[in-house]
This record gives sequence, C-alpha cells and structure tokens, in this order.
Amino acid sequence: MPILDVHNLSKIYEGKVSTQALNHIRFSVEKGEFVGIMGPSGSGKTTLLNTIATIDQPTSGQILINGQDPNLLSRQEKALFRRHELGFVFQHFNLLDTLTVEENIVLPLTLAGARVQEMESRLQEVASMLDIEHLLQKRTYEISGGQMQRTAIARAMIHRPSLILADEPTGNLDSKASGEVMNMLTEVNKEEGATVLMVTHDAVAASFCNRVIFIKDGRFYSEMYRGSSRGAFFQSIIDMLSLLGGTSHDLSAIRL
Amino acid sequence: MTFRQFAYRNVTRNKRKYAAYFVVSAFSVMIFFVCALFIYHPDISKSLVYSTAAHTMMAAEAIIYVFCSLFVLVSVGSFLQSRKMEFGILLMHGMTKRQLNTMVFLENMMIGTSAILTGTLLGLILGKLFLMIGSTFLGIPLLTFHLPWQALVLTICSFALLFILISLSTFFFIGNESLMRLFQGERKAEEEPKVSLVLSILSALLLLTGYYMAATAQAASVEKVMFPVVVITVAGTYLFYTQLSIYTVKLLKTIRRLYWNHTNIITLSGLSYRWKENARMFFMVTIVSAVSFTSVGVFASIHTLSRELKLDYPAAVGYVAKGKQSQDPFDQHVDEIKEELTTLGLPYETLSIPIKYAEVESQSGPDRTLRLPLIAYSDYKLALLRAGFTTDERPLSGDEGLVMIGSQRDRSLQAGRVKPIYTLKQGLSIQETGYTQHVPIAEYLLPELDGRDGGDFSGVVISDELYKAIDPVQTDLYTGFYMDDFPRTVGIAADLAHKGKRSYESNSPYAIVVSGTLFEIQRTLYNTMLFASLLVGTVFFIAAGSFLYFRLYTDLDHDRHQYSTLSKMGLTDQELNRIVTIQLSLLFFVPVGVAILHSVFAFIALQRLFYLSIAVETGAVLLGYLAVQGLYFFFIRSRYLRNLKKNLI
Repeated sequence: MPILDVHNLSKIYEGKVSTQALNHIRFSVEKGEFVGIMGPSGSGKTTLLNTIATIDQPTSGQILINGQDPNLLSRQEKALFRRHELGFVFQHFNLLDTLTVEENIVLPLTLAGARVQEMESRLQEVASMLDIEHLLQKRTYEISGGQMQRTAIARAMIHRPSLILADEPTGNLDSKASGEVMNMLTEVNKEEGATVLMVTHDAVAASFCNRVIFIKDGRFYSEMYRGSSRGAFFQSIIDMLSLLGGTSHDLSAIRL
Repeated sequence: MTFRQFAYRNVTRNKRKYAAYFVVSAFSVMIFFVCALFIYHPDISKSLVYSTAAHTMMAAEAIIYVFCSLFVLVSVGSFLQSRKMEFGILLMHGMTKRQLNTMVFLENMMIGTSAILTGTLLGLILGKLFLMIGSTFLGIPLLTFHLPWQALVLTICSFALLFILISLSTFFFIGNESLMRLFQGERKAEEEPKVSLVLSILSALLLLTGYYMAATAQAASVEKVMFPVVVITVAGTYLFYTQLSIYTVKLLKTIRRLYWNHTNIITLSGLSYRWKENARMFFMVTIVSAVSFTSVGVFASIHTLSRELKLDYPAAVGYVAKGKQSQDPFDQHVDEIKEELTTLGLPYETLSIPIKYAEVESQSGPDRTLRLPLIAYSDYKLALLRAGFTTDERPLSGDEGLVMIGSQRDRSLQAGRVKPIYTLKQGLSIQETGYTQHVPIAEYLLPELDGRDGGDFSGVVISDELYKAIDPVQTDLYTGFYMDDFPRTVGIAADLAHKGKRSYESNSPYAIVVSGTLFEIQRTLYNTMLFASLLVGTVFFIAAGSFLYFRLYTDLDHDRHQYSTLSKMGLTDQELNRIVTIQLSLLFFVPVGVAILHSVFAFIALQRLFYLSIAVETGAVLLGYLAVQGLYFFFIRSRYLRNLKKNLI
C-alpha cells in the first residue's frame, strides 16, 4: 500500500476570477521513496504540497496518507495528524529563535509528550546522522543557513513521520550548502527509510530524488525515474524543464 | 500628496499601533483636566477646610504630569525602534535626515494635539460627573459645574509643552544609524538573557530582608526603618525582575522532565525572552502599584479613623483652663461652648476634673519631666464612666501611678518606654505601675510627659489620698462635654480653636479640642488623598496595560510567524490558547502579585501605627484591583489571540 495516494485532486480558488490551481492530479508515493515535484511558477506545486500537508482543503478528489484521509478529520484531529504523521522542511527554515538547536529538534517529540530519555537518545541519533552534534547547544542565530536547514531536517524526521514534506529546502542556500543539505536528505531517506516529498525549482536538488513529477498549469505533465547516474538524471531534468517552457527564471539550473 | 498629508496618513493608517499611546495620553489629559477643574473650583479654593484638598490634588497633578512625560517618552522610543525598517525605505528613496525629523515631529505633534483635544473634551463632558463623585467622596455639598479658565489654560499649556519637548527629543532617538543597520530591522536576534547567580541571590536576600524588617518593625521604629526598607525592597524588586526571575526560568529549563514536557518548552522559552524585554516596565509597574495600593488602602481605612477618633476623644469637646486663679475667661469660654451646643440642639453632659501640677525633683529613667500633671483616681473613674468606657482596673493605693495614654496610638509605644519613679519637690514619690486602658483626657489638653517633644503620654493617675496630699504649683480645670454624636460638633468654638484645636503648649490661657472639627479635617484630607491616589492609580494602571499591549502588538508579526510554523507542525488550537494564556497571565499578574505582596508587608508595618485593624479595607482595595486587572487581562488576551490567529491555517 502506498504511503501517499493522491487521487483526482482538484483545487479551485474562488474569487472574482476563480482559478483552477490543481486539475485532477493523481499520483502515489511508496514507502521509502524520495519524490520531487517540479514545474514552472504558478503551476500549482505549493498548492499541491499544502493540500497534502492538510493546511489547505481540496475542492474535489482524495488524499490518503497511510490509508487515512486527513480531510475527513476535525481541525483538532488534523493538528494531531500532522504532529504524528508529517514532518516539515521549509524554505525559510522556520526554526524558533527562542529555542536552542537541540530544543528545536526535539520539539515534535515534546509536543507529542514523549519521555525525556527517549527524546535524548533519538536526538543523538538524528544529530549524528545530520552531523550537527557540535551545534546542539547553540542558538539559531549563531549558525549558518545550511546548518539551520539541517536542523530543520532533523526536526522533521525525529518523530519518524510517515511522510516528510519539503518546500524548496534549498531555496535560501548557496550551492555548497544546497549540496550538503540534499546529501543529508538523501541519507535520511536511505538510512531511516523516510519517505520524502519535495517541491523544488532547483534541478540540482531534484536530481537527488528517485523520481521527479512535473506538473504544469495544475495538471500532471510527466514523470521521470532516476537511473544509476545522477548526472544523466540532472541532464534529463534540464531537458524536461526547457520542454515545459515557462520563463527563464524557472530555468534556474541554467545559471549553474 | 504633500509632505504633511504623508505624515498625517502615516498616523491615521497605523491606528492600531498608535491606539495604546493615544488612549493613555488622552486619558492622562482628561484626568489632569478634571483635577484642575476641582482645584480651581470656586467652592473649593475659597474654603478654608477644603483648601488642603486642593493641595493634595495639586500633588496628584504633578505626579500625573511626570508620569505621563515618562510614559510618552518611553513609548515614542519604542515606536521609533519598531519603525526602523520603514525609515530605512524612506531614506533610501532620498528623504533627507531633516525631512525624516520633520516627519516624526509632525506625527508626534498630531497625536499630541488630538490627545489634548480629546482629553479636554472628554474632561468637559465628564467634568460634572467627576465633581459629583468628588464631592460625594469628600462628603461636601454637591459642587456645581463651573469652568474656570485657569484649568483649561493649565491643561492645554502643560501638555502642549510636554508634547513639543518630547517630539523634539525624537531627533536624538532617530540617531545616525547606517541604512544597513536600519534595514536589518527592528528585531535583532533574541539573545539569551544574561543573568548572574550572585545578583539573583542578592535579590532574594534583599527582598527577604526588606520583608523581615517590615514585619518585625515596632511602632517606635517604623519611621526609622521605613526609608531603608523602601530602598532595600526597591533594589530587590529591580533585581528580581532583571535577574532572579530570569534565573529561575533558566533553572527550570535545565530540568528536562519539566521543560521538555508538551508545550512547556514553548511557553517557558518565549516567556524568558519577553520577560527580559519588559523587565524594567514590570519593575516600574510593581513599585507604583505597591505605592498606590498602600496609599489607597490606608486612605480607604477612613472608617477606622472615626472609630479611633471616638476612642481618642472621649469628650466631644474638651476644654482646659490653665491656672485656676484666672477664673473669669474660663467661665466665659465654657459658657460660650454650652450656648453653642444648646443652639445646635445637641444634648450633652459635662464633667469637670481638677488637674494638679507637681514639681518634680528627680526621676529615674532617661527622660526629664519638670512638672507632672496629676489627677485623682475617682475623677479618672468618673471620666471613663461619662465616656462610656468600661475597665477592670483595680483602685490605686500608696505611691502607685497609672500613666494616662493620650491616644490609642500610645499603646504601641508602651513597650519601649521605661517606667520612671518620680520624686517630687515636696518629698513625696510616685511610682508608675502601668498605663490606663483608655484615654481619660484627650491629647493636646495636657502637656506631654517626659519633657520630650512628641513624647506621647499625658499625665499620671494617682490614688485619691496621694492626690489630696499633693501641694500643686498650678491647678488646671478640665471640662469635658460628653455626647454620643461627636461629628456634629464640627465648627463649635471656632473662635477659640483654630482648626479644631489649641494645644496646651500654645501660649494662650486655655487649651481646647473639638473632635467634630478635627474629624472633619482629617476626613477631608484622607478622602482627598484616597480620591487622588485612585485617580493616579487608574492612570498608571491604564498606562501599564497599554504598554504591554503595545509591546505585544510590536512583536505580533514575529509571533504570528512562529505560531504558524508551530501550527503546521501540529500544535492544536487549545495548546496555542494555553501557551498564550499562561504567558500573558504571568506578564499581567506577576507584577500585580509582587506589588500586593509588597503592600501587604507595608500594611503589616503600618498596622503598628494604627491601633485598629485596617485589614478589611485594604483587602477590599486589593481585591478590587485584582478584579479590574483580571478584566483587562481577558480583554487583551482575546484581542491578542484574535490577531494571532488571523492568517493562521
């Protein structure tokens, strides 16, 4: 059974001019997969991610996460669902600046009411995996962007969620830090068997995935599986992006 | 859009941000104005008795003015701080420093002017109500509405001056920071508050010492320890907010079992940051609240005052003619009083007691009395009977003497006094064996014992046999007019007694106390002080709350961002409410709680000066404050939560 099953998902934003952000999107993600979603600006990537994250309501269609439809839940249950089933990585890191790095990381477990002992052992595991052990006591303003994003990844995975959702995780990082962060995310995906769904503009980042889904104007456009070589995969992503069109801005990969 | 329009729109389109500042300014202007209405009211300023009330109000005006300047200054500072980014954008688009200064000046003057206008207008509308409340408080006939020009001029001029000065001072606030710094924005990274263990311990020690000294102060020492206790407590309070409380939270954070438990991690970490930011404000709020609680509590104990007066002045009117030889004026004065009482239709009983003065050769103990006032035991018994006091004292014999207390207050001084043995010039000796249980002859009618200024005991009761044997150097005659309804004697014998009394130490041939007039004067004074401290307290109270609101509002964007992240991570609505409620309630109630604790200890110390308990009155005052603070808390909490949840998923 897939971890995530998106079935005929549509989202229409009502207003003076209603816009169809998503149009019968349909795909599924198996356990342990690392899936990227790409598309030009305004193609509905973020809407898709928000709907999956239960932050936004779909107009029609169904989302099943671990066999459960979160949209049938009440507001309260939805919050608890996110807490237990989902992990988030944001473009702007969104670490809490009143907390230290380690406190930021254990936050999901703390909210869930885990035991201190369990939190500490789990903290050690994820910190060593992400190579941030030496930063644990630091405050968020004392560390670099790449370190912040690694902290955010640690926070997203510490409670072993069914699905980690990443929204442009490399959007605010330089290429070196991007590479590091993507390596870490890949490692988390492999070692922990975490399922990751990542929205990105960055072809380099996307080339770390097992599979990339392309959407355009809210519709499924195509998908690509990675072969053995990341370089070849990167090249075919670039090709696909130019086929997709969009503005030069979207071809950010060209700048590399 | 002209430059002035630009400044105007900056203010009007930022209403919420300026609301707290405007409300407090306008409110202060209003209170200031109505106080001025009161001071310059012809009925008040022309009356002798109530002129003290006007002085008290004047003091209140001064406090309001000083406080308002401070508040406006601090608010303006924070405003400018929070608008750095905006200034950066303006400067980048080519606004000169001079124009920026002009803009800020214009904005401030706009708010100032509208606050003055609103405040005065509200004052005019509510003036009548205020005068009514004021006259009820003072227990005087209703004051008619009257608009003295002085009140208007005083209010407008003083506040115009205040706002101009503050607006000018903004030039210094803006300073010369580089564009880069301005863009980095309002909020620097939240550094961990720095605290030291030594200072935290010092704070606890200071507070405990202050409390201990206040709690153990004796009546005689209250005045002496008052100043050090205040200084110690103020210092301790300052350190409490800047060190001890933050240190405590820091310690709590090291207990992971507690800190890493559900939402505690967010509550505590947010709290310690916010606490540090507001520490100085909390300190100010605590001190001023403690002072106003204490004063309101003391002045609210007016009922205690009348009970106490009844005990201190057994006769409604007491009169002493010095030296029996000059008979004539004495008779005349007593007759005058009798006549006045009869005209007023007050039933009374009189009692006359001769007081013998014996010359003292020597006495044991540290004090020196030259002439000892003596009354006979049987006369003493009679005086108590007339006043309606009961006693179980046994008759005196031999050279025993009971020291007469001059007022109930003296009871608390008994412990610290040495009971001397007097040796009289004529060879007899008198030994003090105790104190009378009641006041037989009121204060001011007898010279004070012990030859000290402010020595409080007034004379000695001796056995009838001893009294007969005394060969006096002078004999006075005391006449008391006893009645049940003493407050009605207000204004009696106005030509004999200036403001209700002429004390024995004055150079006239008589001494007199009229308890009704004394009561009236005291009551007016206390009531005005109560009224004034309530007004000042209210101004402060509103200001403190608004300041907190303003701070919350400034941080709102940051908080919204944080809570939206948390909410995505699965923080439920109830948890969010709980975090906010705990944080806000600590911000609101800790300063008030500490202030209450302070004033409780102040009351314990002051209680030594009051013979009767003032616990009920002060309890009522404190509860009232807590209730209002509670309402305010719920109001701010709901506004803050509503704002926070906007745009939250």
